[in-house]
Amino acid sequence: MAANQINDEEKLFSGILRLNAKVFGLVLGIVLGLLVFVATNWLLLKGGHRTPDGRYVVGPHLQLLSQFFIGYRVSFWGSIIGFFYGFALGTLSGSAIGWIYNKIVDWRK
Amino acid sequence: MNNANCDPHGRRVIIVGGGPAGLTAGYRLAQMGLPSVILEKDQIVGGISRTVSYKGFHFDIGGHRFFTKIKAVDDMWKEVLNDDFLRRKRLSRIYYRRKFFYYPLRPFNAFAGLGLWESTMILASYLYARLFPHRQEETFEQWVSNRFGRRLFQTFFKTYSEKVWGMSCSEIRAEWAAQRIKGLSLLSALRNALAGQNGANKKRVIKTLIDEFDYPRLGPGMMWREVAARIEQSGSRVLLGAEVEGIMRAENGVEAVTISRNGEREVLHGSDFISSMPLKELLLKFEPPVPDQVKTAAHNLKYRDFLTVAVIVDKSRLFPDNWIYIHDPAVRVGRIQNFKNWSPFMVPDQSKTCLGLEYFCFEGDDLWRQPDRQLIQMAAEELEMLQLAERSSVEDGHVVRMPKAYPVYDSEYNDSLRIIEDFLRGIPNLQVVGRNGMHKYNNQDHSMLTAMLAAENVVGAAHDLWRVNEEQHYHEEVTIAPEQQRLLKEKLRAAFARMDSFAFATATGLVCSMLLLLATLFVLLRQDSPLVPYMGLLGQYFIGYSVTPGGALLGAVSCFTWVFLLSWLFAYLRNFMIGFFIYRIKRKMELLTFKDFLDHF
Repeated sequence: MAANQINDEEKLFSGILRLNAKVFGLVLGIVLGLLVFVATNWLLLKGGHRTPDGRYVVGPHLQLLSQFFIGYRVSFWGSIIGFFYGFALGTLSGSAIGWIYNKIVDWRK
Repeated sequence: MNNANCDPHGRRVIIVGGGPAGLTAGYRLAQMGLPSVILEKDQIVGGISRTVSYKGFHFDIGGHRFFTKIKAVDDMWKEVLNDDFLRRKRLSRIYYRRKFFYYPLRPFNAFAGLGLWESTMILASYLYARLFPHRQEETFEQWVSNRFGRRLFQTFFKTYSEKVWGMSCSEIRAEWAAQRIKGLSLLSALRNALAGQNGANKKRVIKTLIDEFDYPRLGPGMMWREVAARIEQSGSRVLLGAEVEGIMRAENGVEAVTISRNGEREVLHGSDFISSMPLKELLLKFEPPVPDQVKTAAHNLKYRDFLTVAVIVDKSRLFPDNWIYIHDPAVRVGRIQNFKNWSPFMVPDQSKTCLGLEYFCFEGDDLWRQPDRQLIQMAAEELEMLQLAERSSVEDGHVVRMPKAYPVYDSEYNDSLRIIEDFLRGIPNLQVVGRNGMHKYNNQDHSMLTAMLAAENVVGAAHDLWRVNEEQHYHEEVTIAPEQQRLLKEKLRAAFARMDSFAFATATGLVCSMLLLLATLFVLLRQDSPLVPYMGLLGQYFIGYSVTPGGALLGAVSCFTWVFLLSWLFAYLRNFMIGFFIYRIKRKMELLTFKDFLDHF
């Protein structure tokens, strides 16, 4: 019985974590989506500034995301669109990380 | 020859010993309709779990909490006493240098009790022991010092251990402590730790398992008197004052026992025999005698004896603990029970307190042979020295000597026990049960479990009694279905599995560098993108990066390197934290082992 117990403990410590690619992707997607959503609304709450030519500008740097996320704006609706882009990018990236990780673990076995 | 108490098939079970194990076996057999004869050499049932009465004051021989994880045992307790159980709060502290300490030690309590200097020295000694441990752990002293530091060992463990064992800690083998640790499964501890994360459950479990216990209104003797009465009502017999003098053995097993009772000798024949008498005595009573090797093994089994000096103190309240451990080297008393705190019904006059001062000794040594009057006087003096009660407030006292209270786990016992076990396995109709019956640290509930299983064996089951409490796994095997246990292990393994740092770093590095490469190429495709100057800033971190096809490739390599390093660090720290968590659980197990050690005496 003692031998079994030592065996149990060895198994416990020798186990290698497997990532659930779908779950990992989903989590990263939600995190990235929320990041874009919160960052956009945070700038909206802080407010923008007026340029010398009289235009009111909010978050000009974050606005550059629209180069990748077509349709994205620093506005409330833009933050929702940004959430979906962030979610999609995070999900794809997370799933890819999970998949590659598991492949490498299999290969190293 | 006495052949009364046989079932219609001529079966009769002879049970030697009227303690918890013997009585439980008789009770179970009675429930199955099998008659038995229980032989108890004393004039009172209960063995070490008896309750002695003196002038209306009730006291135990040691304290006996009714607390178990074994459902069958719990059911029997409830069945027998039901409404006579009190739910009691547990408080048992260490008394050292006139201060009370909790165990496991609580930092503030220990600091307040020991003072700044002593606490610092203990901490320093602990750190030293962790950095420079004894390379070989041959003695109990080395074993404890390696885990707790030499200073804490000397402060808290040395004196009490030596009082309990009657020998120096440097003479006690480390195997004893290691054996106690071995009995605790890390998987179980992790399971408990995880279950403990659940707030409500944690509170309930801790409350139930550590801080509270059940206790019969008039002590454990109340339970065993009632069990004996029910056994007799069923038609079986409980013979008090019946000392077994010989066990007659033939080739196919034990045939009869010779007893002496009221000055007369009697031979009792039986079909099955269950013994809870000390293993050493049992083996030396065989006729014909056991082989020399077994006889030598029997002689190698040692016991620690024990005496309780119950004193009646003319004070309504002395301390709130159920019992306290006396680690003070200036006095000989090892533990003090406050029976009123176990149950207020143990004391007939609430203006008085009944304390049980427990002295660990060897049968026949100076303490054992001291007249009762001197022992009571010594107890009163020690109470005053400890500043727990004034000598003049001790009104009366009573002494109870309990031989062979604890089996000694010395360096020889394990090999001897194996020889004895092999020999006894060759006697099919004799089973040994209980603490002394098996020479094991069985608590009351474990003793009862062995007896219950022995009773089932009589009617055809095939339980291996030697395995019960061997490593405390037996209960889990009894209570948790194998399938559940397998699933549990799988879940724990998944939860504590190590993350492959290299695989994680490579995967995240590859994905991030690909994203950078694609993003840069995307920007290049869109001519005059306002992003170009901003993305170019990434070159500050990713060496060689620029918003050009070549720069994108170099940047991807650089990005891979950075992300690889950071992700590897993340995975490494994650594994480290899991390892640290497991290490803490193991340390906690070791600490609790000492609580277990304290509780066993």
